[in-house]
Amino acid sequence: MNSDNPQSPLDEATARRLARLRAMPIDTSRLERMIESQIARPASSPARHWRLRTWRAVAASLFVFILAGVVMWSLSGGSVQASPDVMARFHDDLVSGKVAAIQVNNIADANTALATELRKIGEIPDVPTEHAMLCCMRTIDNKRVACVLLRSEGNVPVTMAVAQASDLRMAHGEKQVVGGVTYHIQRSGNLNMVMCERSGRWICLIGALSTDKLISIAGAMEL
Amino acid sequence: MALSPTIANERFYKLIWPYRADVLRVARMLCRDQTEADDLAQETLLKAFAAIERFEPGTDARAWLLRILRNARIDRIRSAARESSNVSLDAGDFELPSPEAADELGDDPEQILNAFSDAQIIQALQELPEEIRMTLLLVDVQQLDHKEAAGILDVPVGTIKSRTHRGRAMLRQALLPRARELRWVR
Repeated sequence: MNSDNPQSPLDEATARRLARLRAMPIDTSRLERMIESQIARPASSPARHWRLRTWRAVAASLFVFILAGVVMWSLSGGSVQASPDVMARFHDDLVSGKVAAIQVNNIADANTALATELRKIGEIPDVPTEHAMLCCMRTIDNKRVACVLLRSEGNVPVTMAVAQASDLRMAHGEKQVVGGVTYHIQRSGNLNMVMCERSGRWICLIGALSTDKLISIAGAMEL
Repeated sequence: MALSPTIANERFYKLIWPYRADVLRVARMLCRDQTEADDLAQETLLKAFAAIERFEPGTDARAWLLRILRNARIDRIRSAARESSNVSLDAGDFELPSPEAADELGDDPEQILNAFSDAQIIQALQELPEEIRMTLLLVDVQQLDHKEAAGILDVPVGTIKSRTHRGRAMLRQALLPRARELRWVR
């Protein structure tokens, strides 16, 4: 927050809310196309810089190659594990409004709002039985996760998190197989969560509902 | 001294291009019409490219761009006669909200403010006078300090401070009817 001069708590709260707008997702693709059609991207560098750039490029490539090797050796498949505590925090942040989120009326709106970010993940599945309220993008170790806040029966908020299946690993623990789908069950505080992989997507539902209810919601997803 | 086209392009894409999202966001919050906002953003970037030789590498590119955006916006407003009723380049025309009205966001105004979506906050912002809106966009949204904002808007720092304070109160006043409608406050 801009701290140029002392402010009342009310002023500070208003300033903080406005500051969140800076993180509002925005699709710049149309603007990019318009500008790039009028201002050409730079051509390759002149010959006299060739040698320095080439050696720098070689050094950079070697560094990246070695680093990639270390990373691949130390991790399995380049994916990261979504810990229950991290998912619980995502849920709490959405419910409490601590994270900048976009208000939506349904999953189609959420897919539209996050269209650019969802190109690699795929669309957020529709859940006709629940009402969508907010959506946002989060990251776990640079892996993108789309989050949608749903309102379930009894006005209980449920967060649906969606990521590329190759990016996130299931947390170890209890499993249930329902309708041919394996659900990994986790808990954090008063929140239950169920994780599954469907149609190339890693999906997690988090909420203060029973795991049976969360699995029932997951089962109603349209993919 | 004029830059070669190659260097101009390189400088633009290296120093200015990374701020295209900021430019588009501010334009969208400033203009009520999205097409107008997109045109303003495009014009801003094209003008930045045309003036790239005047941009000093190492200085604040974002502030430089926002100044260009601001000037382009003024030019558009002045050239469109039908927009003149929407423009209050004199932000003093509007009545300061009463303290009671501005503070009626309940016991936990932060919770109420956070309950509004970004779209609702932007809609309320767009009800504010042009100069107040622009001030809040520079200071609170883009997090420029008062001196930088004063430089962009060509006003004294004291004016930025008073507009920021008034603007925040006016924003809360603009949100109050919706908060009452939703029964978030009495």
